[in-house]
Amino acid sequence: MSRKCVPFTPYERELSRATVAIVTAGGVHRKDQQPFNIADELGDLSFRIIGADAAADDLMVTHHHYDHSDADRDINVVFPLDALNELVKEGFIGEAARQHIGYMGYTMQLKRMYEETAPQIAEEIDKRSRADVVVLTGG
Amino acid sequence: MRGISTVLITVSPEASRQMRPPRAIHPKDFKIGNSLGRPFQRELHKRVLRDALSLLKEPARPGEIIERAYAEYGEQ
Repeated sequence: MSRKCVPFTPYERELSRATVAIVTAGGVHRKDQQPFNIADELGDLSFRIIGADAAADDLMVTHHHYDHSDADRDINVVFPLDALNELVKEGFIGEAARQHIGYMGYTMQLKRMYEETAPQIAEEIDKRSRADVVVLTGG
Repeated sequence: MRGISTVLITVSPEASRQMRPPRAIHPKDFKIGNSLGRPFQRELHKRVLRDALSLLKEPARPGEIIERAYAEYGEQ
């Protein structure tokens, strides 16, 4: 993978007009969604759509490969939903995207994650989230 | 599909460096699980997020992980 070119899209607008989505590999999902399957040793390749109307208390982490006890107390440490919304209020960015994404970044199937999950997430962001900027976090 | 501008906040810079991200920030000494800071350090989370987003308007340094230090992280 390191032999591939760096995927670079210049950002031409002012940040104050940006629509920003969060995509986290930290295993974040809504409490009313199916948790990530941490019993799957190969790693769950699915992702969850987290609507912008979610509150921090609606969210949780399912992930077996990092200590998420801090995220369990405050999801913002890996999924900065409240911080993002405050940057919107302050005018630093234009708006939060309609949808954010959570997935479970631990995988033994890196090729499949790269060829399947990543393009699917990009499609969601492009077509339904309407974001022009994505902030990525791990755990 | 048009390109989407991205920026990564990483607490595993060695692993991230191998993936050659277009833009990335590494908050210095933040542990895994604390990408934006500690619980409820909301002003710190906002600072880190602002710094990450600001990379979108800085000269391109694709593949580089920019390290930033945040004194507030050390405080409990």
